[in-house]
Amino acid sequence: MGEDTESSKGNHSFLRDYVTEADVISTVDSTTQENLLATGDKGGRVVVFQRETVSSLLPPTSSHLLSSLLPLPPLLSQPKGELDQVGETGESGEYNVYSTFQSHEPDFDYLKSLEIEEKINKIRWLPQQNAAHFLLSTNDKTIKLWKVSERDKQPEGYNLKDEEGRVKDISTVTSLQVPVLRPTDLMVEVRPRRVFSNGHTYHVNSISVNSDGETYLSADDLRINMWHLGITDRSFNIVDIKPANMEELTEVITAAEFHPHHCHLFVYSSSKGSLRLCDMRASALCDRHTKLFEEPEDPGSRSFFSEIVSSVSDVKFSHNGRYLLTRDYLTAKVWDLHMEKGPVETYQVHDYLRTKLCSLYENDCIFDKFECVWNSSDSVIMTGAYNSFFRMFDRETGRGVTLEAWRETSKPRAVLRTRRIYTGGKRRRGDVGVDSLDFTKKILHMAWHPEENIIAIASTNNLYIFQDRVSPDTQGPDLGSDTI
Amino acid sequence: MEFKVEAHRIMSISLGKIYNSRVQRGGIKLHKNLLVSLVLRSARQVYLSDYYGGICLSAQQAREWCEGEYMASKQGKLVPGSTESLSESDEQSEVAVDKQETRDVVESPAGLHVETQASGEQDSAENGVSDSGCSDIKNPEESPEATQTCEVASVVTAISSNCISAHSPSDPKEETETPTDCQTDNSESAEKHSYEPKAPQAYTNRKRTADDSELTDSPTKRTKLTSTSLPSTNDENKGETEEMDTSNVSSLITIFGSSFSGLLSNKEGEQSDSEAEDSDSGQICCDQMLKNLNPWSTAIVAF
Repeated sequence: MGEDTESSKGNHSFLRDYVTEADVISTVDSTTQENLLATGDKGGRVVVFQRETVSSLLPPTSSHLLSSLLPLPPLLSQPKGELDQVGETGESGEYNVYSTFQSHEPDFDYLKSLEIEEKINKIRWLPQQNAAHFLLSTNDKTIKLWKVSERDKQPEGYNLKDEEGRVKDISTVTSLQVPVLRPTDLMVEVRPRRVFSNGHTYHVNSISVNSDGETYLSADDLRINMWHLGITDRSFNIVDIKPANMEELTEVITAAEFHPHHCHLFVYSSSKGSLRLCDMRASALCDRHTKLFEEPEDPGSRSFFSEIVSSVSDVKFSHNGRYLLTRDYLTAKVWDLHMEKGPVETYQVHDYLRTKLCSLYENDCIFDKFECVWNSSDSVIMTGAYNSFFRMFDRETGRGVTLEAWRETSKPRAVLRTRRIYTGGKRRRGDVGVDSLDFTKKILHMAWHPEENIIAIASTNNLYIFQDRVSPDTQGPDLGSDTI
Repeated sequence: MEFKVEAHRIMSISLGKIYNSRVQRGGIKLHKNLLVSLVLRSARQVYLSDYYGGICLSAQQAREWCEGEYMASKQGKLVPGSTESLSESDEQSEVAVDKQETRDVVESPAGLHVETQASGEQDSAENGVSDSGCSDIKNPEESPEATQTCEVASVVTAISSNCISAHSPSDPKEETETPTDCQTDNSESAEKHSYEPKAPQAYTNRKRTADDSELTDSPTKRTKLTSTSLPSTNDENKGETEEMDTSNVSSLITIFGSSFSGLLSNKEGEQSDSEAEDSDSGQICCDQMLKNLNPWSTAIVAF
């Protein structure tokens, strides 16, 4: 198994035998949570990390097989290279494993003779309403609602049960006592509260919690259902793009999300590169979109793989609800909800791959679904790439920076250096050539803290958490002058 | 011509992906296969764009053969358990057939995977087995043509899921069968139908018929027709459409099969030979193909 051990001292020798398939992280979310981060992996497990905000920081422990943590290397533009003091009090805490549980198990559909993978496709936290935390996790077919709660007290002094819970012999009870709650060690309990099954014929690719706090949507390749969090045996079908004749199938749904403020609006993206905004007040079945966001295809760049490259892999509303961020294979685009004819901003993530599409098609990399995220103030967008690189774009200046999430090159508390891909012209030291990119190290899943500049990057079976040290609470990280 | 080579390569890769998606855990991923089928369609259009205008010399003869073989392959192709889950029963048969169709098309170039496939799911009711087809594929010294034909025959084997069966093995190179046999066989039920590659006069025709044996396109058309008017069995009077579809698919399967036979034989010379030969056979039916590319492509899309 991929055992990762880490010492808190300066020498970080990671023992890694090999990476098992089941440990690969398949989703990350921290959208509504200040202090919690959840990851799901291909083995059906969910790991919840909690950020320590207490002053006495424990040394990072990552005994879990799932991931290893780099405790908060700062993210800065000015390269310093100096290691900061470990264990600063008062600063934002480190993330530690809070809870682990098996969310989904491999299943089998007997009717169709199909195995249902236990891989967690998406996790979404619910907005917190009380002391407990709720999250939705889904695999290909079934969505589950989990309650994560803490217990630090335990009732003691029962009359009918003894300490171990065995029923006492009544004849031995001579006096009555009132059970009291005594503090115990903190225990995190995770319990499944709802199981939403049999709602989808095709593979579920997205879930999104509504701003009303009561409903959520789940989208598969051809349909979108709306569920109530309290009702598991029924769901409303709100979008159905399955053609009457499957031979005429031309596009599928790739992602869907509710508007952050308007509980009647949601958007879904298609494999053809178009986005559809739907208003549930218009009709019960939202097959007719309210707005269609589509950019006309550039005829000059047509190739065999134009359709694959234009397929949208992720769509996210901005926090203010005015913009949409989409990611297709080579670009990330920002759309204004008021303008349908094209994106307002287009960022080239790794345009140097445009000439390599054929080989990327052969090794299946062209089907990778990259996610994209906004920062808390919607001024910066971030998305992943290959070779453990991920990119951030500052929307105000339009400039982008490439960063690397790879533990061999970053130590805890060290500053991340920006990287460059060499595509021609003057080659600087440290530039990486396009042909030496490692396409097995891909950054597909990521999360940005809803308020602070803390990001979580999932790379294969590792989770990297980075924080902006200089200004954790200001608008955005100060991006340097390096551009790609 | 480079674009044709590239297109051909992309087509082979795409078919390989569609084939591999069958055995993937978690079932067939609709999105990925849709994209692969779109690539396949574009590549095919580029590849065939140069073939338009070729004159089909033995088109008439080929059409007759196609018709004969077409009968054989249409028997009861409904797939009991299609991998693409559909709850609507009315669509299930159609899509199931589509699934079957595309799967079978994919199986054709993947003769390499005969053994593994033989133990796989039982798709079709057709149990035509050519045991010698299996063994033929293991003989590298055979000529590319024979290898390719054997491949196709072995694909028939694979479909039936009884590779090592007690069916009367027939040497695919034998030329004893006649068209009338084929048509006689048509009257039998699909389960009992021991399909063997028939031997027409021309080699190209024989290849085509072998391909037609596990024709996957025809069931789709068959099912549609059945729903409207014609009985599914023993209907000799095909519309022009189906015949062309038959030859479309068969020649395309031929083309795809050639690329894989090239991979199998591992010799450049053989590969070019087989490809050249298949190009000829492909050209023979190209004009028919071009008229009816759509149904096949959409079928793959449906898959």
